[in-house]
Amino acid sequence: MGSRKDPADVLIVGGGTSAGVAAKHLAGAGFKVVCLEQGTWVDPGELPGNKPEYEVLGSKDWHPSPNVRGRREDYPVDTTDADLPVWMYNGVGGSSVLYGGIWARPLPADFRVRTLDGVADDWPIAYDELLPYYQAVEREMSVAGLAGNPAYPPGFEPPLPAAPIHRTGLLMAEGMNRLGWHWWPGTNAIPTESRGHEGKCVRYAICRMGCPEGAKSSTDVTHWRDAESLGAKVITRARVARVTLDERGRANGAVYLRDGREYFQAASMVLMAAGGIGTPRLLLMSASDRFPDGLANSSGLVGKRLMLHPYAVSVGVYDDDLENWLGPAGEHIGSMQFYETDTSRGFVRGAKWSLLPIAGPLEAAEKWTDRSSLSGEELWGEGSADRMKSFVRMLQWHVVPEDLPEETNFVALHPSLTDSDGLPAAKVRYRVSDNTNKIIDFHLARTLEAHEAAGAQKTWIAGRNFMTGHNTGTAKMGDDPATSVVDRFGRAHDVPNLYVIDASVFTTSTGVNPTATICALAKRTATYIASNARELEVAS
Amino acid sequence: MSVPNLPDELGDASRARLAALADVLIPGGSGLPSAGEADVAGPWIERVLGANPDLTGPVSHVLGIDGAPDEVLAKLRSQDREVFDGFAFAVGGAYFMNPAVRRALGYPGVAPRRMPAAEGEAEYYLDDDILGPVVERGSIYREVPA
Repeated sequence: MGSRKDPADVLIVGGGTSAGVAAKHLAGAGFKVVCLEQGTWVDPGELPGNKPEYEVLGSKDWHPSPNVRGRREDYPVDTTDADLPVWMYNGVGGSSVLYGGIWARPLPADFRVRTLDGVADDWPIAYDELLPYYQAVEREMSVAGLAGNPAYPPGFEPPLPAAPIHRTGLLMAEGMNRLGWHWWPGTNAIPTESRGHEGKCVRYAICRMGCPEGAKSSTDVTHWRDAESLGAKVITRARVARVTLDERGRANGAVYLRDGREYFQAASMVLMAAGGIGTPRLLLMSASDRFPDGLANSSGLVGKRLMLHPYAVSVGVYDDDLENWLGPAGEHIGSMQFYETDTSRGFVRGAKWSLLPIAGPLEAAEKWTDRSSLSGEELWGEGSADRMKSFVRMLQWHVVPEDLPEETNFVALHPSLTDSDGLPAAKVRYRVSDNTNKIIDFHLARTLEAHEAAGAQKTWIAGRNFMTGHNTGTAKMGDDPATSVVDRFGRAHDVPNLYVIDASVFTTSTGVNPTATICALAKRTATYIASNARELEVAS
Repeated sequence: MSVPNLPDELGDASRARLAALADVLIPGGSGLPSAGEADVAGPWIERVLGANPDLTGPVSHVLGIDGAPDEVLAKLRSQDREVFDGFAFAVGGAYFMNPAVRRALGYPGVAPRRMPAAEGEAEYYLDDDILGPVVERGSIYREVPA
C-alpha cells in the first residue's frame, strides 16, 4: 500500500458541494486540508450547453444518472426497487455541477415538523441558528434574487440583483395574481453580475448540464479554486474504500484506490462529504470489529430514512411565443402558496413550485413522450408539426414535494454489483409514500389551475417521480445517539472526530431544493471546527 | 433480421429506410419539413449517434425490422416501448439539430446563444406594481414556537 506520509489536519471524503464550502473555510483558517475525490475536474470546454448536440449529450455523458453516464468514477446505483432513479454527479463540484441553481431556503416550520405537524422528527437546530450561515454562503454562492419575499421571515436579502422574470414569469405572475396566490421572482445561485471566478449569466438555460460560461455557482468554480489557492489539496481519481480508525476508535484517515493501486491518507479528523448515497455507502463499507454494522452506525440508521423529493411537472400551452428557452434555469418565478401544512387538504406538509424555462426541443418533446405524461395525445405522427410549433409557447411548473423519512426507504451495499474498482455498488430501496403522493396530486391540480388562470389553451400533467438529486436523510442529525447518526454539528455520535457535512444529515427533507441548506450546514460545521479546534478530539 | 452497425455501415439503403421510418414519426406540415426532407438520415443522425452511442442500439434494431414503416413502429410502440422510445429520441434529436428546423420552431441559433440580460430588463418586467398584491397580502409562513 502506498502512503501519503504527510498527514492532513482535515481529510474530506468527496469533493462536491459541501466539501467545497468546508475546504475553503478550513483552508482559510489555516488547516491543512486534503480531499479525496473519485472523479476529476470539469473542463468547461467539454460542457455541452453551447453545442448543437447539447440535448443529446445531456442524454449520455452529461446525464444526471450515474448509471446512464457510466463513467469510470460513477459507481452503479441499483434502483430496481425504487420508484425513481437517483441523480448525482461524481467530480470536483459534485452535484452542484449539474443542479439547476435554484436557491431555496426552507422555512422555520420545516425544522419543527414533529412539534407542529406530529410527524417525523424536529431538527436539533432551528432556522434562526442557521440564518447567519445561509447569509454567509449566499454571498459565497453569488445568489441572485429580490429581497422582501413574504414567504420568508426577515433576513433573506440575496446579495445580487434578481434576473429578469421574462415573458414566462410575467404571464404566470398575472395568472397567480388573478388567483390571489403567492409568487416571487426566482432566487438562483446564478450570478447576474460577474463576480470572483464567475461570469455573468448569459441565459443559455442549460444550467442542468453545467454552465460553459462558469456562470452558475457550482463549487468547483466558487470554492475549490480558492481552496486550492489557500493550500487545500484535491487528489482526483481517488476512490475511497474505507475510513480507518486508530486504537481508540478515532477516525485517522482513509484507504483509497487510484489507478489500481491502494494508498492510505492519514488525518487528524475526517469529514464525510460523498452525498446522500455515497456517504452511507462508505460508512457501511467501513465496517470493522469495533463497528461491525458499519462505521458510526450504532443507531442502525446509516443509510436509512432516504428522501428523494420525487418531482412532478405540469405544463400549459399558450397563445404566444414566450421565449421559454431563455435562462436562467434556475427558476424564473417561484411560489410557496401551498407550502405550509393545511390538514384540511388531507395530508401534512407541502411543496415549493418553480417556473422553469425549457432548454430546447427535446426537453419540450418530453412533455408528451414521458411515460407518465397525461397529455392525451402522441407527439409523433400526424399533426406532430403543430405540436412541435407549440414548444416555445409552453410554460412548466416544477413541484418539489416534501417526502418524510421512513426507515423502509434506504441505501445499502449491493450484494454482488461493484464499481470499476471492485467496491460494492449502492442498492437503493425507495417507495413514494401515500402522504407524498397526496401532496403531489394536490399541488399538480393547483398548478393546472394556475396555468388556466394565466391563459393556457391546453394544460396537462407532464410527469411525476422525476429524479432530483436531492438525496437526503441517510445519516440523520439529532441529539439522541440512539435515534440519530450525527449531532447538531454533524459530528458522529459514535466517532468524535468524524463529521458528516453533506445532505445525509438532513433530519427531514423540507419541501425546497436542498443546496442552500447543504451549504449552510457545511459552513456551520466548518466554523465549529475552526472555532473549537483546540478542544476537539483528533486521531492519535 | 439483419442489424447494421451504425454509423459506420449506414449505407444508402439504410439511410433511405431510416428516412422512411422517420417520416412516420415526423411527417412535417405547417411550415415544418418532414424528417426525410430535413435530412435526418444524413449528417444529423450521425451527430446524434456520436453524441450518444447508446442510441445506436435502438436505431439499428428498428432498421433491422422488415415491414411497412408505420406498421413496424406501431408494433414496436405497443410491444417494445424501450426500443421505440430510443429510436424516436434519436430521430427527434437529429431533426431538431437541423438549423432550419430549429429556426422554424422559434429557437435562436444552432445552439443556445449568449444573450445576457440588458440593463433594466429585470425591473421592466416588474413594472406596473405587479408584485404589489403579493406584498400587500403579507407574510404567509407559520410562526414557530421558541
